[in-house]
Amino acid sequence: MKKLILLLFVITFSFSSCEKDDICDPKTVTTSRLVITFYDVANSSVKKNVTDLKIIGEGMTDGVNFNGATLINGSTVSIPLKTNADATTFRFILNAENTNPALINEDVLKFNYVRENLFVSRACGFKTEYTLDPQTPYVHTDAAVPDQKWIQFIAVKNSIIANENETHLEIFF
Amino acid sequence: MKHTLKYFFSICLVLSLSLAQAQETTTLNNVADSTRTAPIIPDNGNLKTVKLPEEVQDTLVPVKTDRYGLRVGVDLYKLTRALYDKDYKGIEFVGDYRLTKKYFLAAEIGNENKTTDDDRLNFTTKGSYLKGGFDYNAYENWLDMENILSIGLRYGFSTFNQELNSYKIYNSNPYFGEGAALPSGEKFNGLTASWIEVVAGIKAKVFDNVFAGFSLRLNRLVSNKKPGNFDNLYIPGFNRTYDGDFGVGFNYTVTYFIPIYKKKVVPVEVNKKSATKK
Repeated sequence: MKKLILLLFVITFSFSSCEKDDICDPKTVTTSRLVITFYDVANSSVKKNVTDLKIIGEGMTDGVNFNGATLINGSTVSIPLKTNADATTFRFILNAENTNPALINEDVLKFNYVRENLFVSRACGFKTEYTLDPQTPYVHTDAAVPDQKWIQFIAVKNSIIANENETHLEIFF
Repeated sequence: MKHTLKYFFSICLVLSLSLAQAQETTTLNNVADSTRTAPIIPDNGNLKTVKLPEEVQDTLVPVKTDRYGLRVGVDLYKLTRALYDKDYKGIEFVGDYRLTKKYFLAAEIGNENKTTDDDRLNFTTKGSYLKGGFDYNAYENWLDMENILSIGLRYGFSTFNQELNSYKIYNSNPYFGEGAALPSGEKFNGLTASWIEVVAGIKAKVFDNVFAGFSLRLNRLVSNKKPGNFDNLYIPGFNRTYDGDFGVGFNYTVTYFIPIYKKKVVPVEVNKKSATKK
């Protein structure tokens, strides 16, 4: 009987110590970012790499950090949307920090969406799932100082932003 | 080497001491028993003629009687927790009824109101629960002792509601800053859950008919009606839920035994036992 109680104690403690649900597992799908893939406007099926693209959110000074860098070189980028507003505006600066100011080109993109907060778990709390507005998912404007739009065409691939495994937006330039 | 030997011997010594002590206490118990029966004799034995048949009776007295009845009480842990935990109010009444020598019908009924404040969630759970089952007393009592060392099973059922007070959104890329807790106030009513409990408990007679007890419980959910877009993270009676179906609990009880009837324990066996012991 004493052994049984001891065993119960051991089980109880093992329960309390092994339980991992107090820390949100990074593998858990939580609030997803908007995944953008860049394509060549001349050949729409071919991905095209951007050079030194800096994406700055409205009211922010630093660029969005993607894979440890704020200057994006590649054909894909993921950017976080605001969880407390139904629209987020970004400045997309191509060739940012280039020594030749003529190469620098800035476009402004505003994303409109509806949000839904979904329960994940005790440790993670809730996540936000976005659905891009079906009428005007984005508003594309030139920079405050006009320098011609570098983005030629934008297509919404997936309007529901629930995970980062798929492309949500395609940008052709 | 010297040190190890020293330790070895000292440990042996300690062990032998404890053994000696253990034996001493048992003999002390016997002494206590004899002293307990002794005062009865002079109380009634004013006349010599009366004394003799009583002595004859004394040899027959080891006939043990077990008391059967209802034991009711309250969980002190839940009751006192409200004193130091402002986020908790709760009460649990416990009861058991002795069915046979070893088996007891047992039940717990309670109500809880708990606000859980986690890193990302703050919610209030309110509800009542009922648990019913049996306890098996594995403790062999001496003479008229009534201590219980039991293992038992319960089936628990709880109806409750939850209110999500506030929550945080998990964002692994807090570019726009970590979001503050958002107030919610959303209510989830009509929730139910049921579970099986394995209970290991002790109850010791403190004084006449009053018992102090402690029990440890391992729970496993059988059914759990979860709300939409939330989860039953706390279930009254079951306690905190984990990722799986398991949970743990305990209570610390004070109970009062209401004797209803007595049953004699087969006297032949007792006589044989006492004879072999003497």
